[in-house]
Amino acid sequence: MSLAIAGMGWVTPLGSGVDSVWERLLYGDEASATTISEEFNHRSYNVFRVPESVLKGAAHPRLRRASAISRFAAAAGLDALNAAGLKLDSQNVERTALIFAISNGGVIYTKRFYRDIVNEGAQSASPLLFPETVFNAPASHLAAILGISGATYTLVGDGAVGLLAIKMAEDLMANEALDHCLVVGTEEIDWLLCDAYQRWRLLCRAPPIEPFGKHKRGMILSEGAGAILLARLPRRSAAEAGEGSFTIECAHPGGYFSRRAEAEETLKRILRDLDQGEIDLVIASANGTFVDQAECGALRAVVPNAFVYTAKPALGESVGAAGLWQIILAAQALRSAELPPVLHAGSAVSLRLPLSRTPIARARHAIVLSCGLNQQAAGLRLAIR
Amino acid sequence: MAQSSNPNEKKVSARVAVVAAGVVSPLGVGLTETVDSLRKARDCVTRVTRFSVAQCRCKTAGQVPDDRLLAGKEEGRRGHRLHRASHMMIQAFKEVLTQEPQFKPELTVIGTTSGGMSYGEHYYRSLRRAEELRHAPTWIANYPAQKPVIDAEEAVGISAPCQVIANACASGTNAIGHAFECVRSGRYRRILAGGYDAVSEMVFVGFDSLQASTPEKCRPFDRHRTGMVLGEGAAILALENLELAQERGAPVLAEIIGYGISTDNFHITQPNPSGVGPRQAMERALQSAQVSANEVDYINAHGTATVFNDAAEGKAISGLFNGVPVSSTKSMMGHSLGAAGAVEAIFCLLALQHQFLPSNINFTASDDDLDLNIVANETRPTVLRIVLSNSFGFGGTNASILMRSFKA
Repeated sequence: MSLAIAGMGWVTPLGSGVDSVWERLLYGDEASATTISEEFNHRSYNVFRVPESVLKGAAHPRLRRASAISRFAAAAGLDALNAAGLKLDSQNVERTALIFAISNGGVIYTKRFYRDIVNEGAQSASPLLFPETVFNAPASHLAAILGISGATYTLVGDGAVGLLAIKMAEDLMANEALDHCLVVGTEEIDWLLCDAYQRWRLLCRAPPIEPFGKHKRGMILSEGAGAILLARLPRRSAAEAGEGSFTIECAHPGGYFSRRAEAEETLKRILRDLDQGEIDLVIASANGTFVDQAECGALRAVVPNAFVYTAKPALGESVGAAGLWQIILAAQALRSAELPPVLHAGSAVSLRLPLSRTPIARARHAIVLSCGLNQQAAGLRLAIR
Repeated sequence: MAQSSNPNEKKVSARVAVVAAGVVSPLGVGLTETVDSLRKARDCVTRVTRFSVAQCRCKTAGQVPDDRLLAGKEEGRRGHRLHRASHMMIQAFKEVLTQEPQFKPELTVIGTTSGGMSYGEHYYRSLRRAEELRHAPTWIANYPAQKPVIDAEEAVGISAPCQVIANACASGTNAIGHAFECVRSGRYRRILAGGYDAVSEMVFVGFDSLQASTPEKCRPFDRHRTGMVLGEGAAILALENLELAQERGAPVLAEIIGYGISTDNFHITQPNPSGVGPRQAMERALQSAQVSANEVDYINAHGTATVFNDAAEGKAISGLFNGVPVSSTKSMMGHSLGAAGAVEAIFCLLALQHQFLPSNINFTASDDDLDLNIVANETRPTVLRIVLSNSFGFGGTNASILMRSFKA
């Protein structure tokens, strides 16, 4: 079943708004790193944060006590609805589902809640913080803001979870009583996450992220949200689904790999299932870790002629939000018929990387490929009419 | 609600069979032990020893004994590193695949709330104490919610993509319900669905901080109810297109016939006192199954034994059904959160197979405000054809599934 992308919302370290962030990427901008410190040993980490100014307009009583992850998600979700011109009311809200893609969840409040328990004992645990530690807290806030009373799901996983959420949306939309599904991926940063990824040898101390490099320097964590409003194609008028509109032609159910060395084979299988011989570009998830080598091998074997783009050197690794960001990138590349430069990539990489702003005039089909850091992989195929 | 506007409404297409099931809970390891405990209405809630509860009001939980859980432990260093949630999932998966070795799922849909949370706790405590962090990579690698699912798949030699749903305490029912819809729509033929959760300090203290958990016995729907106790477990159901299951000669244990989901936006932790969210979920499940409320023979309630949850659910049940027997099996094993919906679906399956009503134990007196037919303190033999199972969670997420006994 094909689904149309009716609207998109984007909150990133390079600002918010799909067109604005895209423009900055085309110009080769990259987010500025800020330093956060670990609270026990004062180790410091570089991260890409969402500028505070981005969220100034995203005030709602329900978000009063909510963590950054919920505020990013609400801002992106509302932007996607606005971009689609969809105003949810009593008539259409029943025909709209909400799916959240989450990886690390509300880590700031979770850590704070547990810190109180460890430092002061169970009696000091905050009943106000605990509900915000639950994975589906961001989804429940946005559902309340939008008044969604039907299907609301939170899907948890690694960096592939955003694409798995699109697959879930495709499955849900098989139910003809749904017209729209809003899919939101979101992530927030805390030093605890940096420490964890550092101990796992996946983090680099300072930018840049060097994608597809010989040496796996590691990634920089980032935060934000991406939102995509999906609409059922047959219900849309010809004008709505006309020239310049996007369809998710096929969302792959994904797969997992037991060991990192097996990631390449899993990605090849996904690419082969998605490739129908007309793939013009691939939005990859390369982030300076083992992912790059796996993707490089799979892409060279299955779609050697496609352009390959990754925005992670510019935007960082946003894990739960990353898949949604990649879909937005694919849609923008097809719409504007050009690709931003892949930053900090070596010229010797044996992939068709756009090292400068590159026109892709006749590009019609893209694959979005995601290799997560915790054994999951997923992909989907996107087309512009 | 107008029928055409119901997002759960759909054309009836494929029938969905349960062809195998596996369960690990405080009531037992495997279906045989579980049905025995259910029939005996055993109280399986014990004192918590895994972490300090000295400062908590509640001191008890339904826990899977370590000696039982680790009896089937994976050999070698790798098995030693796995989280106890992985061990529970591995045992549940093995039970399913022992019953149906030919079952090749195209997808796994699993509910959970907290993944390998206790490993996250070890990691944070060690960081704070500047202790040896040699094991940190192991804790971090085994913390993610999808890890126990992947561990279980590897242990039984399958490699289906997995979707991990974290809809708080409704997760297990949501997972089964979503899997049911995927098979019913014809998009999938075979799916493994269920849920898991292991008791952890952070979650235990969290419910205690909300004063949702009780220092006394868990007494769902009782006039003197004072709150919930936590539990843990893992449960898996093998769902298959009924025609395909029959073609290959698979035993059909029961059918799943309906699923309803609703979101009430009242409060992040408290249900709407009107019971509108649970009522919508149950109504939508009935519409999805195309059966009437009168045809339901038993309800396995969410029944956490908190004052507000039971009041809202009780109001919804009595408003929709007329004297149907109701019990909350959480009275026997506590609330296993993301596993609860899946564990309770298996209790419903066993009730259908063995034709009895599971008990709501620790029941002392009816609540005058609740017009419910509680299956108090002992199991009752009966004739069951259609049963309903409810799960409701933080964030106002509500889910109900309907199961039917199967006669070829």
